[in-house]
Amino acid sequence: MAELTPFSYRPGVSVLHLQDVRFKLVFIVFISIASMKACFMSLSVLSFALFSAILIIHLPFKSILKELRYFFVFLIFVFAARALCTSGTPLIEFMGIDVTLQGMYDGTLVCWRMLLVVLVGLLFVSTTRSSETRAAIEWFLNPFPFIPGKRVATMMSLIVRFIPVIFKQAKETSDAQRARGVENRKNPVYRLMKLAVPLIRRTFESADKLAVAMEARCYSEKRINTKLYANRSDWIALFLVLCLCVLLSVIDMFECLY
Amino acid sequence: MNILEIENISHRFSDGTLGIDRINLTIREGEFVVIAGRNGSGKTTFLRHLNGLLLPDTGIVRIAGVPVSEDIVRARQIVGMVFQDSDSQIVGETVYDDVVFGPENLCLDKSEVKKRASEALKSVGLEDFADQRPYLLSGGEKRRLAVAGVLAMKPRVVVFDEPFSNLDYSGTKQVLNQIVSLHNSGHTILVATHDLEKIIALADRLIIMEDGRVVMDGLPEDVIMKVEAFGVREPCALRLGMKIESWLS
Ligand SMILES: Nc1ncnc2c1ncn2[C@@H]1O[C@H](COP(=O)(O)OP(=O)(O)OP(=O)(O)O)[C@@H](O)[C@H]1O
Ligand SMILES: [Mg+2]
Repeated sequence: MAELTPFSYRPGVSVLHLQDVRFKLVFIVFISIASMKACFMSLSVLSFALFSAILIIHLPFKSILKELRYFFVFLIFVFAARALCTSGTPLIEFMGIDVTLQGMYDGTLVCWRMLLVVLVGLLFVSTTRSSETRAAIEWFLNPFPFIPGKRVATMMSLIVRFIPVIFKQAKETSDAQRARGVENRKNPVYRLMKLAVPLIRRTFESADKLAVAMEARCYSEKRINTKLYANRSDWIALFLVLCLCVLLSVIDMFECLY
Repeated sequence: MNILEIENISHRFSDGTLGIDRINLTIREGEFVVIAGRNGSGKTTFLRHLNGLLLPDTGIVRIAGVPVSEDIVRARQIVGMVFQDSDSQIVGETVYDDVVFGPENLCLDKSEVKKRASEALKSVGLEDFADQRPYLLSGGEKRRLAVAGVLAMKPRVVVFDEPFSNLDYSGTKQVLNQIVSLHNSGHTILVATHDLEKIIALADRLIIMEDGRVVMDGLPEDVIMKVEAFGVREPCALRLGMKIESWLS
């Protein structure tokens, strides 16, 4: 089961751990937007910033690389698709398909951006307790009177908590069916139905059990939740991130002029 | 003092099945009660009446003198329940988050929540796992985590529904030890099981259920000779004419 959740909280006391979650969420939004249109120069600046952050919170570098290995495979596909399908000056010809210079350039950019966004997510998840994330979501939903913030936040954290259970049940169900030769059936729709129906039923059953267990422990919407505090360092960090984003877009503007 | 007084309760499910049928029981504070009976005899249904997860159609359940229906939150705080399937009982994404779930629901003070959580984790021996994710724990550890979540509510009665299902020998022993230490610290213990072998040596009282009714109730040594008539296996040692030994010795 462990391999299903490379992204997980790692306890610690670094700057990022102590940061207010609401600010961290805002940073993610800003940085993702800034990296959307970013070119080589600005991506290098951003990468540099992120790598220093990773060093600051002492994330184990090797294990991150290992955990992201499937993601790298995915990136290779993206890169190949870009390299092969963009028209431009052919670099190499291979079985009638051109690998173009523009394609290579494009592919590198796209992959780089994706990698950075994933790293940002990794930084967030590994320094944030899920109860804090829940509190932050609740806080952001508060201004909307028609959304029950508490309920949505609880639901989101329960979904996160349920994902490994659903995966486990899916695997058990499909193994049990394979053991009875479901693979002899060639019709994929039939197999999907046979897998989905019991899986959904079991998921509902365990959700029902969970609801009863929560009730037994006095769950109601009136409960204390994690309190969030913003202090000066959060505002300083916000300022720094904003500066970074402005810097990135200025670099982009100049680079695009060429 | 009687902590639980159950007067003539019956419960019929919406589809017409009679879950439990006119049950009368009183349970003293500090008693260790085992409830046995075949599958579908109504053990789970009965236990769910003790903390208001189900309410009886007729009759009344009193906890330390107060009817459950009058103050359900109090009932749930006094009667902690450990369920058959610990996987779907665990709410938190980390062990610590799960233990604080109950105290947070009671709107306790932040420092009190922390204190209770660390006490509860210590008493089940999981204090080193506070930041672990629950589904990575072993079966026995999961069940102990479920117990910790209940203990953090400071219950006086702890109810276990099939506490040994899916546990191996060492998991069973961990849970047994936990139950014994809870009993020694003054908790009233109720255990529903069909596996008498593992627990009967520790119990003060054995209740047999059949078709939603209590059919036998008494000292374990008196009741146990007749359990096979009700679909419960008599412990091996007894068949061989030996005394039952505790699994913990
Ligand atoms: N929600 C429900 N709706 C209808 N009938 C139910 C419901 N829950 C339980 N029953 C029925 O009530 C009876 C008692 O069930 P209960 O779960 O209390 O038995 P049990 O002694 O706990 O059995 P087991 O040893 O399998 O856990 C059974 O016949 C069961 O089919
Ligand atoms: Mg049951």
